[in-house]
Formats: sequence, structure tokens, C-alpha cells
Amino acid sequence: MYRSMLFLHWKQIRVVLIPLVIAAFGLPLLSVQGMGNLGGAITLEPVAVLHAAQGWLTLYPILAAAVGIILALSAWNWDHQLNHVYALSLPVSRSRYAMGKMGGGAVLALLPVGAFWVGALVASAAVHLPAGLHTYPNGLTLRFLLAVMVSYATVFALAAGTIRTTVIVLSAVFLYFVVGGAVESYLGVFFPFFQHTDVVGNTLTFLGSFGPFTVFAGSWMLIDV
Amino acid sequence: MNNALEIDGLGWRAGRFFELRDLRLRVPRGSIYGFLGPNGSGKTTTIRMLMGMMKPDHGRIRVLDMDVPRDMPRILARVGYVPERPHVYPALTVGEQMRYHASFFGKWDAGWARETMRRLELEPDRRISRMSKGETGKLLILLALSQRPDLLVLDEPTDGLDPVVRRDVLTAVLDYVGETNATVFISSHLVHELERICDWVGVLDRGRLVVELPMTQFKNGIKRIKVSGAPETPVDPPFTILSRQQTNGAGTETWIVRGWQDSMKQYFDGVGLDLRDVVDLDLEEGFVELLRSSRPGTPGGS
Repeated sequence: MYRSMLFLHWKQIRVVLIPLVIAAFGLPLLSVQGMGNLGGAITLEPVAVLHAAQGWLTLYPILAAAVGIILALSAWNWDHQLNHVYALSLPVSRSRYAMGKMGGGAVLALLPVGAFWVGALVASAAVHLPAGLHTYPNGLTLRFLLAVMVSYATVFALAAGTIRTTVIVLSAVFLYFVVGGAVESYLGVFFPFFQHTDVVGNTLTFLGSFGPFTVFAGSWMLIDV
Repeated sequence: MNNALEIDGLGWRAGRFFELRDLRLRVPRGSIYGFLGPNGSGKTTTIRMLMGMMKPDHGRIRVLDMDVPRDMPRILARVGYVPERPHVYPALTVGEQMRYHASFFGKWDAGWARETMRRLELEPDRRISRMSKGETGKLLILLALSQRPDLLVLDEPTDGLDPVVRRDVLTAVLDYVGETNATVFISSHLVHELERICDWVGVLDRGRLVVELPMTQFKNGIKRIKVSGAPETPVDPPFTILSRQQTNGAGTETWIVRGWQDSMKQYFDGVGLDLRDVVDLDLEEGFVELLRSSRPGTPGGS
């Protein structure tokens, strides 16, 4: 049963997953472009190398989030199209079915993560770094894996519900962050108390400092001191 | 227990315009039960509830001696379901869909499935999204039968299919039933289709079960009779008058009656009426008259 569910997910997502695997493999290589063995003719400055590496910082978490989101949405896409009638006519409990779906997506996530790891290893082997700098392919891959899983699990849970539930949850998030922020600023004009509060900003800081979402905010450096 | 399906006091409400009201059904084991009703009468809603896809407001459903929804996975392992609209994954091929389906059903009969696929002229490499409506209908039946169910729940399985495919589908079902003695619960508004194959019939209208009885009784019990000298209110007739219509100005009326038996001719002598003619109605006419009579505001209606 689980193998069939994995096949179904693969069949559905393969067209999108293959470019993601290529991107995951290529991104670490791109990030070290120009840092190869220069034959000693030019010596790279550590600061310049770090600066160049930082330029790719944002792309790693974006790619990880994209992989997770696409895998999660595709897990439920076909069932949503069929109004879940087929899925509900199968002799498995809903929780077991959902776990099967989730497991299938998690296994498929290993393809881009594996490609990322290979890409990071190749990139690490290819660079010629100045003294004091090191590559961290395993650590970066682990971070990439965690970020993929966090975004996958979050969107999977959202997409597993009915469209109504998803809309309610997303609307609540939108209201909190966008409308809530605007209301707080507006109230600050009339009430001094609100000039000193920043509930939305503090929430974002909290999410970036604690809990699973911190994985997106941490260091994504393949090359570091 | 002798019933494959039992529904008691089932109720469900959707806004102000539709309500299933205290539905009670009994589908005997080994029977082919025709669930008749016009569009929008609640057939699909009832089926979705017995398949555990919708939760009723109240009532109890037992399928194969198990409770819905508590025993749902065990029930579904023994129920073959063909929904109103195709529910299979369009991007899969026939073979892939069959393998996927088979992986969930322990009793899947691969040999039988292959043989039936050949008989129904389905190609394993054909993508479902490229199949005609008739081919998709055959695939749904193939999937439902190959899992070797004890109960088949078919929700308008032949709706929109051409006569040849319709016959193929029904033949496959009848062959399976002949072989296994499985129970079939089939909903349709195509009355003639059910007339040939069903041995029990339940008629649903506007969320209410109008009648439930053996098909022979249903077919034979509804008659059109001509009566002369009919009074305004007949005295204690032993049958149910579904509708009355003046035939000519000389006091002759045409009655549509239910529960008719030949011995009831004596009733007319006893009350001084002249019975002129008794005509058998086919199932469709009987069905239409039954619905007409059961609706409030119609002659003989409730």
C-alpha cells in the first residue's frame, strides 16, 4: 500500500521534482563559482569569499521552502480534484492514509536533499579557499533537509484539510500579520500606548528565534570561518 | 443477520431546501436492491453516508453487520463502490490504477481482473484521461468487482453510458452476483434498467422513502383500473388509490392503484361499482404514479 502511494506521488510530481533536483544539485556549485583552483595566480581574500558566499544565503532557504511546499501540495492535489471520493472509498483509516501520503512525500524529498548533498560535496571539493575558511557540506545539507521537512509538514497539514479550513487558517495568518500590523500602526497615532508595542514584529522575531521555523533564519553558509 | 444493509432513522439536512427524513432501509443479503428516485431525491447523499463519506445528523447505519462509521475500514474492505462520477486518477493508466487499487484490497483477484479487463476490452496502457465515458464506466466496475466484494454499492453506474456499454456493465455485475451471491445496492433513475435485474426496490423522493418492497410485488401491484359509477369517496378499498381521473362524463374514472391482487375484484361487486378494466402498468409508469401520489398537493397524495 505505501509503495503504491509513493508511486502515485512520484507519478504526479516527477515533472516538477526533476528540475528541483537539478536546482538543488546546482545551487551549491553556483555559490562557489569563481573560487576554484586558480593555480596560485590570484589569492582570494577571505572577506571577499565570505561576501560572495553570503550573496547566495537567501536562495538556499527559498529552495528548501519551495521543495517542501511543492511536495506537500502535490500530495493532496489529485485527491482534492476528486473531492476525496476515491481516497475515502479505500479500506484504510483516514489517519493511516494521511500518514502514507506524508511518508511518500518525505521519501521523495530525499531526492532533492540527496542532490543538494552531492552538489555541496562537489562544490566543497572544487573550491580553493584561503587559510582560515572551511566548507560545511554536511551541516548545510542537514539544515536544508530540516528546512524542507518544516515547510513540507506545515503545508501538508494545511493542504490536508478542506479548502474551507485552509482558507480560514491562511486568512487568520494574513489578518494577524498584515491587518494586525496596520491596525497597530493606526492605533499608535491616537493612543501613545500602541507606539511602544510591536506585537507583529515581536511575533516574527519569536518565530525566527524559537521553534522549527528558526531553521530558515539561521546560517546557510557553505563556506565559513 | 439476514440484511446486508440496515438503515434506521437516518436524517440529514442541507439548508432549507433538502432534508433526508427518518430513512429506514433493509437490503436483504444476496438481493439486488434497486434504489430508485428522481434526481435530487437524496440517493447519492444516502450512499455517501453509508460509505462513511458524510456524517448523518442522526440515525444508524449497519453494513454487513458492522457499524458505520466505527468499523469503516473493515466495511470498505468488503464493499465495492462505483460512484456517480468517476473517482479514479485521470493521469494513471488502466494498469497503474488497477495495481494501485489492488494494493489496498487483500481479496483482489488478479486473474479475474485480467480476464474481465480483456472481456470489457480495456487496454492496460491506456491513460484514464484519454478514455471515453463508457470505458471509464467499465473500468470503475472492473475495479469494484475485482476486489471481490460481499456488497456492491453502485451509484447510477450506467448513467450517460450508451446501451452497449450499459449492457456490458450490467452483465459483468450479474455474472459476478451469479458466481458469488453478493448483495447489490444500485441506485438509478433509469427505471427500466432496474426492472430487469432487481429483486427488491426502494423508492426515495424528496428525502423520504416512499415504498420498499419486492420487485414482483411492486410490478404486479400497481394497476390502472377503469371504474364506472365511482363515488366521491370509495368505501374502505383494500388497495391504495394513487390517483383518480375522470375518463368521460358518464361517471367512469381511471384509477391508479397500488397493492392490487386479482381477488380484489370482488370488492367492486360488494360496494356496487362496475369494474371495467384492469391494466398492468410497467415499472416506469408505476414509479411515476407512485411519486405523483406521494407528493403533497396531488390527488391521492400525502
